[in-house]
Amino acid sequence: MNLRRYNIYFHTHTISGIIICALLFVIFFAGSYSFFKKEISAWQSNTSYQAHSSQPITYNKLLDSLNQKHNLKGRDISFYFQEHSFDSYVDMSASKDSTLVPKTAPVKETKGRGRGRGRGGDGAYFKYNFIKGDSKTYAESYDMGEFLYRLHFLAQLNQVPIRIGAPFGYLLAGVVSFLFLFALLTGLLLHWDKIVSNFFVFRPWSKVKTVWTDAHTALGVIGFPYQLIYAITGIILIFNTAIISPFTYLFYDGKGEKLYQDLDYSTSNEYTYSYHALEKNINIETYIDRTKKLWKDPFIKSVIIKNYGDTAMHVIIEGNANRKYSFAGTGRIIYKVENDQVVYHKSPLEKATYIDKVKSLIYRLHFGDFGGYWLKIVYFVLGIMGCVVIISGILVWLVARDKDNVPAYKRKFNFWLANIFLAACLSMFPITALTLIAVKVNPATDQEFIYRFYFYGWLLLSAYYIIRKDLKRTNAETILLGSVFSILIPVANGICTGNWIWNTYATGAADILFFDLFSLTVGVIGLISFYKIKSKAKIAA
Amino acid sequence: MPAKKKYLTKSPFQRFLKITAGFIGGYCVMISFHQLFGYVVEPKYVVITAAFTGYILWAVLLLLAFLAESAWKVWLSYALLTLLFSLPILLKL
Repeated sequence: MNLRRYNIYFHTHTISGIIICALLFVIFFAGSYSFFKKEISAWQSNTSYQAHSSQPITYNKLLDSLNQKHNLKGRDISFYFQEHSFDSYVDMSASKDSTLVPKTAPVKETKGRGRGRGRGGDGAYFKYNFIKGDSKTYAESYDMGEFLYRLHFLAQLNQVPIRIGAPFGYLLAGVVSFLFLFALLTGLLLHWDKIVSNFFVFRPWSKVKTVWTDAHTALGVIGFPYQLIYAITGIILIFNTAIISPFTYLFYDGKGEKLYQDLDYSTSNEYTYSYHALEKNINIETYIDRTKKLWKDPFIKSVIIKNYGDTAMHVIIEGNANRKYSFAGTGRIIYKVENDQVVYHKSPLEKATYIDKVKSLIYRLHFGDFGGYWLKIVYFVLGIMGCVVIISGILVWLVARDKDNVPAYKRKFNFWLANIFLAACLSMFPITALTLIAVKVNPATDQEFIYRFYFYGWLLLSAYYIIRKDLKRTNAETILLGSVFSILIPVANGICTGNWIWNTYATGAADILFFDLFSLTVGVIGLISFYKIKSKAKIAA
Repeated sequence: MPAKKKYLTKSPFQRFLKITAGFIGGYCVMISFHQLFGYVVEPKYVVITAAFTGYILWAVLLLLAFLAESAWKVWLSYALLTLLFSLPILLKL
């Protein structure tokens, strides 16, 4: 082994690790819960997808009522769906018909993805539930699923008014994932020589430090492929501007739209408003049915209606192939409503292009949504294992520096750093579980309530454990609190909505049932580990 | 157990140079290297593939900067590599 190299790997691994550890923990913890985003949403809003999954989505009813209220003529209306959910984000643009809205200029066609971009005039953006038939604003419909999902790429930090190429939170998340990739690389090289010999070494009953070191290396090596996938797909999903923007200039003369068309995120089709009224009954559902038949029961990702009620009216339907037929297939079909013609068609069932394959690889691997609940549970366990690797890493860092030859002021600093990081990281477990109870107890939850409850609660808990400055206590108590709260999650659901576990089982509300059972299991496992920690502490004393 | 100091870069300026060389120089090498493939295959394939290979290459280049003996040499070699990879663009201009 080259000693110089070994020590450089060691040092760069330590430094990059200690810089990102706290944020990476937040990302991993919130991200692990986000595997169950739809279950959490279904659980919180008390509307099961599974219990209604055979129900068709009634676009016409919604469009009729929107038409009465807003006059849809000349507007673009987009529906965005997520799998296993009857919630749809609905984006309605202002009308392009300048005879209808004389005061506002016609809204320019906007390219690119993203929520509610380019909405002007009297456009609207809301979430519509096709089962309940109610619409809510984004802030009203904000739930714990959305919160944890957005927390896992630090979206809440976008409020910070610093912008370098991307909103602050996304930028930070991108930098953290890149350093994470770097730390994984150096970590692997660091352990390379001992990877086989140390694989079976686990010495939990010897010195304290070896426990952390063994946990860190063993779990780190086992979880390495998984974490590498996350480091890479994570950067791509949150901060791919780093790659996209230079290539936009090198290959596409700075024309971003062209690149997005090439990557199949948008099409070059133009839909110019014609000012000729469409003399026809509009029935969107026929196009949906046609597409579903054509693509053999796909998942419809989005339905976009251009120029409603105009002869230039088009319906763009995008979807993923049913996983039974294709892993990577994505399709897009465009109908011209005037003559019911298909003007563009790429079936998700035809052979997936290279672009499709890479894109699906990124999404499927990151979201872990290709193998049902069992796969998601494995992903969750691996994610929590990542959290353990991070925590044990902080502890290795601290214990290795807690020696007599280290100056007192440095040791003090090291302790406080570890103390603050541990308190902040570990209190995430109890506050997440407690907020999940709070949103059940308080029926009128919205974005503000969740923000306040979660962030102030988190602050209070961390402050408390920082002041206590007892790492063992922080560790044991947060596990105890988190487990108790987790066990109370299904109880809170039962008391507040009557959806006890046996009721959801009986009605076939698998998603709600799943989340209750999941929380219960997490709580029980947490309690077991708490008692193990306690009894071990007694033996040691 | 912390890494032994005698193997690490002592001068803060050298360290600064290494970090910047790894981040900025490494990035330039990575991008200019990938754009070369744009002459062989369609650019869109390069862009989508670079999502995977680009970040890994960048991280490796960052590490190589730390492994080097002299930060100046790293800067020099990354600058030369970038120049070399961008020759096709430069010559066309």
